[in-house]
This record gives sequence, structure tokens and C-alpha cells, in this order.
Amino acid sequence: MPTLAGTRDGVPLIDGIDKVTGRARYTADLDHRGAFVGRMLRSPCSHGQITRLDVERARQLPGVVAVLTGEDFRVPYGVLPIAMNEYPLARGKVRYRGEPVAAVAAIDAETAERALSLIELDVRELPAYYEAAEARAADAVRIHDDKPGNLEREVHHTFGDVAAGFAAADLVREELIDCAEINHAQIEPHAALAEFDPFTNRLTMQSVSQVTFYLHLMLARCLEMDESRIRVIKPFVGGGFGARVEVLNFELVTAMLARAAGGKVAMELSREETFITHRARPQTRIRLKLGLGRDGRLRACECEVVQRGGAYAGYGVITILYAGSLLHGLYDLPAVKYDGYRVYTNTPPCGAMRGHGSVDTRHAFEVLLDRMARELGLDPFEVRRRNLLHAPTRTLNELAIMSYGLAECLDRVESASGWKARRGRLPHGKGLGMACSHYVSGAAKPIHWTGEPHAVVNVKVDWDGSVTAFTGAADIGQGSSTMVAIAVAETLGLPIEQVRVIAADSATTPKDNGAYSSRITFMVGNAAIDAARRLRGMLTEAAARRLDCDPADVECAGGRFHVTGATDRGITFEEAVKAALVDQGTLTVKGTFTCPPEAQGGKHRGGAVGSTMGFSYAAQVVEVSVDEDTGQVTVDRVWVALDCGFAINPLAVRGQIEGAVWMGMGQALMEETRYLNGMPAHASFLEYRMPTSLDSPPIDAQIVESIDPNGPFGAKEASEGALASFAPALVAAIADAVGVDLDELPATPDRILDALVARRRRQRLDAVAGGGR
Amino acid sequence: MTAPLPLPRLRLIRPTTVEAAVAARVECPQHEVLAGGTDLLVNLRRGLLAPPALIDITGIAELDEVRTTADRTRIGALVRLDRLAEDPAIASRHAALREAAVAVAAPGHRRLATVGGNLCLQTRCIYVNQSAWWRAAHGACLKSGGEVCHVAPEGARCHAAFSGDVAPALIALDAEIEIAGPAGRRRVACADLYHEEGRAHLRLDSGEIVTAIEVPTSIAHSGYLKERIRRSFDFPLAGVAIACRTEGAELSALRIAVTGTNSRPLLIEGTDALLGRRIDESVLAAAEKLVARQVRPMRTTLFPANHRRSVAAALARRLLGALGAPDAAAGRGHAGGTA
Repeated sequence: MPTLAGTRDGVPLIDGIDKVTGRARYTADLDHRGAFVGRMLRSPCSHGQITRLDVERARQLPGVVAVLTGEDFRVPYGVLPIAMNEYPLARGKVRYRGEPVAAVAAIDAETAERALSLIELDVRELPAYYEAAEARAADAVRIHDDKPGNLEREVHHTFGDVAAGFAAADLVREELIDCAEINHAQIEPHAALAEFDPFTNRLTMQSVSQVTFYLHLMLARCLEMDESRIRVIKPFVGGGFGARVEVLNFELVTAMLARAAGGKVAMELSREETFITHRARPQTRIRLKLGLGRDGRLRACECEVVQRGGAYAGYGVITILYAGSLLHGLYDLPAVKYDGYRVYTNTPPCGAMRGHGSVDTRHAFEVLLDRMARELGLDPFEVRRRNLLHAPTRTLNELAIMSYGLAECLDRVESASGWKARRGRLPHGKGLGMACSHYVSGAAKPIHWTGEPHAVVNVKVDWDGSVTAFTGAADIGQGSSTMVAIAVAETLGLPIEQVRVIAADSATTPKDNGAYSSRITFMVGNAAIDAARRLRGMLTEAAARRLDCDPADVECAGGRFHVTGATDRGITFEEAVKAALVDQGTLTVKGTFTCPPEAQGGKHRGGAVGSTMGFSYAAQVVEVSVDEDTGQVTVDRVWVALDCGFAINPLAVRGQIEGAVWMGMGQALMEETRYLNGMPAHASFLEYRMPTSLDSPPIDAQIVESIDPNGPFGAKEASEGALASFAPALVAAIADAVGVDLDELPATPDRILDALVARRRRQRLDAVAGGGR
Repeated sequence: MTAPLPLPRLRLIRPTTVEAAVAARVECPQHEVLAGGTDLLVNLRRGLLAPPALIDITGIAELDEVRTTADRTRIGALVRLDRLAEDPAIASRHAALREAAVAVAAPGHRRLATVGGNLCLQTRCIYVNQSAWWRAAHGACLKSGGEVCHVAPEGARCHAAFSGDVAPALIALDAEIEIAGPAGRRRVACADLYHEEGRAHLRLDSGEIVTAIEVPTSIAHSGYLKERIRRSFDFPLAGVAIACRTEGAELSALRIAVTGTNSRPLLIEGTDALLGRRIDESVLAAAEKLVARQVRPMRTTLFPANHRRSVAAALARRLLGALGAPDAAAGRGHAGGTA
């Protein structure tokens, strides 16, 4: 186990001071001198054929330098090579209210606005579908011509003997659980700055992206440009959570405007437009059936998931696959049948969001398991303990489990929350609930198969003794650049301050697939260690030459290279660098990381989704108070434990755990997108309610270290795993507090009050029925 | 770089006397009055209003005073909500007013927002308080220049809901509002400042502005409870203010006012029937029923109307119970109404 001397409490993020002092420059803060202002016209209509789009008057307006429509984009885009069915500006048809249909660049915002108002758009309306069931109706019009039934993707997977499992079960129960659509609501609204040089035909793009490489690819594709003429730079990014893990329409439009204008174009989206761009967690209906033995062992699971995917493909295929594949990997499940349906609707496209695909099905699973345990008289902790996995193992769907700290997570939160002494002994209106969750540390199979390593990091050392790590990984606030600095510094025996990190600029840093599926720590971390080890090897050899000994006898520690057993016979790091540069000059070494094929999932269709080198595990306990007069739920305390393998930066890990709990709390308590005839009625921070500091309970976050055999220093992901267990723990706590079982998220006061009223009605009916006997 | 939705260019008129402010309003009734701006500027940015000019009254010193006499408290229209929330005289004399002030929005808003502005808060509706693009794409409503109310298409009126927190407290406390106009100053009971019409809920004549509030000290016990989804920075699903007086253990005065459910802050009728009675279970049930029967929430928010009605009634019962409890009589007040 590594020591990571001096960092065991964790270190502040290396860019933290820039952020809190306001020095950090986000996309909208960049140098906008000479930039035209880009704006987009959005469809007022949910679904229809564009019969006329006349931009002539806008083009004629003085001050307007470029006007674009869908006709300017010949090539569709999308994050999945198998599902590219979207154009940056609508072509022929509009499919949701707010879909961009035209764009202008002008000398200022007023002129751009005026130009938009001069564009004439006629649409022949088609029937619009705002719910998955409406879109799936037999007589529904197709939203995409090639998708009958408005089904983007069906998934049918069966593993093990499900019928036998249910037959062997002592208790079989089925529930229907509904989870509302939510949004990432990252603090920074969308923005992009594109500069096209008409003399060199080069494009420089700066954007809020989590995936600068995909942005690079899509810019080349949609602008039909040579990749080598594009440079993509990621400035500071104010949060992602999945909102920016696929290329977004405004990025492509801004770049195209810049080329059309032959200059620089800045696009800033309003909060409303940022909400409309969406790509977040879909409204999901889960029908779940579980079979449980009297001994608490899971015998079988049958799960049907319907996701309202919105108007375009995006990540939809992956989301509906994740929803099924991550039923596995948390508990020992002997038989699983999964049927998933991803449905096109006339709402903004959904996409990836923290806990991608797994959160709503995990919610349903934990909620039902909790209710069944109650029926069998089993403690919620006990029923989980009876179904633990034992690493290393493989799940039914061929996911590799290399480390598994769930048992310790359970012990930690059970003890910290005083569960045994307090559960069942709280006054009426107060309750405790618990649940578990897990998540991948990066998808083991990349979306774009190129045969390249999963991650590459370069480390440069030069005459001045400075060490610079170059990574394409996008730090979007999660602390990945700090992680790279620690990994390199630790491997070279240097203080973290001696390592500089340059990130996410395609002109200087190696390609990286980006910040998604919690891949960076595992993959980029390993690549950074690999690069630093290679560099250490070169420096060790140079030191050995200087020390006149065998390189095998040289140790590297504390900023020095010395002969083993003789700390006084040594040279400083800087001296070793000078020695290594002789005859060589500046050294740049490369480190890589590649997931082996056996980690890349099963051979069944969609089998790669969910596959990963390591799963994080979490257990949490939530304590609530429920006001039975108003339906208001107060979260009093949360205890959470996360197995992240090894905490490279415990401070950052704690922050990520708290963030995951808090985001889970938002979804569980109040977050919800709402459409009125397809109009987003929630598209502000007033109507899209997130918990405030007054709604946020004390969170006792504990780190469990299972030391993954393949993780960097044993680490796994730390930012997503703890999210999905919040909502089911909350619902269980509400049941414990006031005896109502909530089948819907979020647990808003109206839903709680309705459930309480329904229960009272049932009790009255039961009393009448009982009295009549 | 210009923000995505720039504020329209506006002329600013900055009178230093009430008379000059009134004269500016008389000159052009479309001018809007600017005080804290926490409601007005948001509405301007969303294109809900397009006044030719703003009359910035923050330079009128007279309007920024709190004066106490034995039987009344006079509060200038420009007094900030955070001052109301922190002033010990207000807290000891008019608990409901303090609790309502501290329940408004978030601390940043309360540092700017004024009591007069909160009284004159625009009514709100989910079909109105959206961007200009939204309203144009969806189709305008009665309040935004259209022909129909999307909340109740069969009716002829606008149902946008009044959502201020301070007005119900002042109504319960039987406060009077001082209004300055071309004909001089007049006073009305706070409840009479409002109409049940979402488009024009304020009963101000042309050229008039609210200048001060006078709160009598005759009602000893009062409080305000607000229900909302999150504990800060949220308009009320429903808010209830109650002021009462007891002689011995019996009610000798009782006023209940509700916000968030109607186009005006609603003074509940029929509370006199409860006078002379102890605050017991039957009185609490009667108060709950009075509120449930009189409030008229409509689908103006994303939360169901029936829920807002239930919550208003439940808050009335809870608050009256708290005011009737022995510790409330000892002047400690109740625990509700935090931000």
C-alpha cells in the first residue's frame, strides 16, 4: 500500500485558489475582444415539418455577419457512432420545443436578437408525444422515420434460470416505481468561443466540454474539416455531471458561425437554453419483480425499464443498457431478466448524468428489497449481508469484480448511525433508512474503438528541474488535474508543488477520451504513474552513472536519488535531471494504460456496457423527519461510506462523496423537470429546485479502502458510487417514520401528503371490512 | 461581453421627494417604481414589462424610516426586509412581520428588497413568469397580452397568484397602508390594497405610490408560517399569518390572512365567530376549516392546487395552536417562519 507521504489528509485542489479568488477564467470570461455574438433561433413547436425558413431579412440586417440554418450542416452528429441522428440546426423537421433551427452572428447581442426576430419560420405541426406511453401507442406518428413504435432501442437480456429462481423463492413481490426526469443543473451555463482563421483555415475552439476529443472529432465531421486544422482547448469548466459528455449543438453552431464569419464568435446560452440543451437523466418507469428466500437470499430478478428519451439518440442506447447491466455487480444475483425500452418523445434529448443509467433502477431495486425484507422480518442490513459478493469474481453478465468493500461500508454506516440501538426506537415522524449502490471506474470498452490505449500521459522534465505532466483529461471541478499531480509527484518522490499539470489542449496534450463514467482516476491515474515510473527509471540510471553504482541499488525518495542503505551517498532530483539530460536534452516520457480484453464485458449484444476495471461501492443511512400535516420531509443526517479502493486525495474524495449524496438528495427530494405541452416550465433555478444550504444535513462521509489490484495505488472511482443509494435510503426512512411506501420520486410534499391520505383511506376501508366480519 | 438576455435600455428618474415621485408617475402612468428591484428587474429581463422609464425612489430619505410610538409602528416603504427581520422593536411588537420578512427569498434578496416592494410584488403564474421566447412559443395569456387564461381557459379573469410574504402578516396585524398620490396622502386597510384579479391586483389609482405602513400594537400575539419546497429562495406554496389577542384564556381578537393561494393576500372571514372561546381543538379545527373553504388556489404553480389548500389550512391550525400555547403568551413566540 502506498504511503503518499504528506498527503494522507488530502491536499486542496491545485486550481482551488484560482477558483475562490476569481482568477480562474471560464469560457464566458475569455478574451472576447473582436468576437461576434452568436445566437440561436429555437423552435416554438414540438413536432412538425419545416415548410418555410426564410433568413433573408436577417442576413440583410446591418451588423449581421453570418446566418446559418440546417441546410448548412450536411452531416448528422451524435456521440455514438451507431446512433448519429441529430443535426446542429434542425433539418426538415423539428422534434422538440426549443430545438435550434437557425443561428446568427452579429456585432452585438442586440443586433443578433433583432436578426433572430427577422427570421420567418413556418412549421406544419405533427402530433407531439410528451410521455413514453403516448409515443409507443400503435397509431403514433414516427418521430424518426427509421424508428417504428418510436423505440430507439429495446434490450432483452436473460441470465440464469429466472423461472426456477422465482419458483424457489419464498417471497415474490413486484412494484412499479416512477422516477421523474431531472437535470444536471451545473452552475456554469453553456458557452463556447470559436475562432476561425480564414488564411490558414484553422479553427480554435474553447468550450465548456467534458470531452474535448469528441468535440474535436465532431467539429471535423460536421464542419467537414481536416482534424489537424482544429485545436480544442478546455478552459475552467463550472461543473459537468454528464451535461457535457457529448458534443452539444451550440458548440458545432458556434464553430460554423466562426467559419462563416471568418473570425471569432462567442456564444453564451441563457439558463433556460442550458436547461433546454438538457442531456440528463430521463423520466423512468421501472417494473421490478424480486424473489427472496426466507433466508434473505436473492433468488431471481425481473426488471422492465421504460425511459422517456426525448427527441434524439444521444447516449440513449448506453443509458438503457446501463439500466440493465448494473442490476448486476452489487449483490450476488443468481438469475436476472431485463427488458429495457428507450423511447423517442417530443421533449429535449436526455443523456448521461452522474450515475448514468444506474440510479433509477438501483432506486427501485433497493426500495423493493427493503420492503420485502420488512415482510420477512429481516433487518435491512442483514438482507444485504446475505447477498454479498466475494472478489475476485465475475457476474452473470460477465462484469469483472476485482475488489469489493461493500461489507465494510455496511459495518461502518451501521455503527456510525447507531442503527442497532436507534432503528425502530425513534418517535413517530422520525425514521431511519439505508441502501447500497455502486458504480464503474470508467467504461472498459471505449465508444470509439481505435486500438489505442485507454489513456496516455506525457511527463516532461527539463534543465530547470521542473516536472510537467500533460494530460488530455478534462478537469471539470472533480479534481482530476490534482490527482495527476499527486500520482506523478508520489512516483517521483517529489512534493506535489514541484509538478505542474497542463490539461486538455489538443495542441499540447495527448488525446484523452474525457471526463465521463468516472474513468480518469483509474485510467489516466495509471497512465500518469506509468509515465512517472519510466521517467524515474531514466533518472535512476543517470543517478547511478553519477554515483557510480548499479541502477538497481539506487532509491528515489524525498527529492533525492541515493544508494540503497547509504542515504548520504546521493544526489538531488535536480542533479539527477541534469545528468539525464546530458546527450539527450529535454526528456519527455509517455505513460499509457489499457484495459485488458477480459475486463471488457460479455460477448452478448451490449455486453460492453457496464464493464469496468473496478466498481466503487457505497452504503448509506439517511435519517428523516416527516411533517404529516404538510408532507414536508427534512433530512436530519446522513451517514455514508464509500469503497473507492484507495483515496489518492482523501480531501477530494470526501468532497466527491458529499457531492454525490447531495445530488442524490436533490433528485430524491425536489428536483424535477416539468413540461407544459412540451414547454420547459422548470427552466430556471427558481422553478428547478435544488436543496439550499438550509436543506442540507450534516453528512458523515467515511472512506473504505479495499485496494483494487489494478487501480492506481489501488484506487477506484469516488464520485458517482454514493449517489444512487440516497433516494432509496430516504424512501425507506420515510416508510420507517410514517409508514407510507412511496413509489414516486421526488418525494415532494404533495406526493407525501397524497400517500398519507391514501393510506388513511385504506386504513378506514380495512377497518370497515374488518368490522363487518 | 453582453449577457445572453440584456436588460432593455431604460431611462432612470431619481426623485428625492415623494411629491416628485408622484409627479413622475402622473406624467407617465407606465413608468414603473424601482426600489430594491429584486422582483422588477427579473420581470424586465424577461420582457414582462416595458416601461418607458423607472422611477428610482431609493433617494427619498423619508421613506426609509422606522418610527415607534406607544400604540403604533410606522415603517417607511423603503425599509429593507433584512432590517425588519433584525429590528428588535419589530420582533417584540409584531412577531408575524419579523417572521414574514425573514421568510422572503434568500439573504441577498432581503438586503435589497423593501417592505413596500414586497407589498406591491407582482402576482405570479407558471405561464407568465417565463422568458419572452417561452411565452411567445407557448402562446400569450391574459396577463401577458393574450386572450385566454391558460390556468382557467373558461373564465374571464387572470388567476396569477399573489406570493408576497409580508402582506398577510400586515393584514393579520390590521396594519394600514399610507399611499401618496396627486391628491395628497390617504390610508387604507392593508387588505383593501388588493383586488382578486391577477392582472391588476393593486388598488392604486393613477400616480399613486405606497409610502408607509402603520402597524398598531393592539394585537399581542402573532406569527407567520410559510410552506415551500426548499427552505430558502422559494415563493410560498402557501403562507399563513395570524394575529390574536386573548383575555384570560379566551380569544378577544383573531385575524388570519393567507398568501400564495389567491390573486391577493386573503383576509379570512368568519373568525369573529371564534371569539370568546379558548384556543382548543374545536377552535383549531374551525380555523382550519375556514381557511380550507375560503382559499382559492389554482394551477398557477407546478404544485397541485389541492395541496396548497391543504397546506394553508394545516398551517393555520398549527400556527393558531402555537399562539395559543402557554409559552407563546409568555412572549417567546413560536419556532416557525425561519428562512
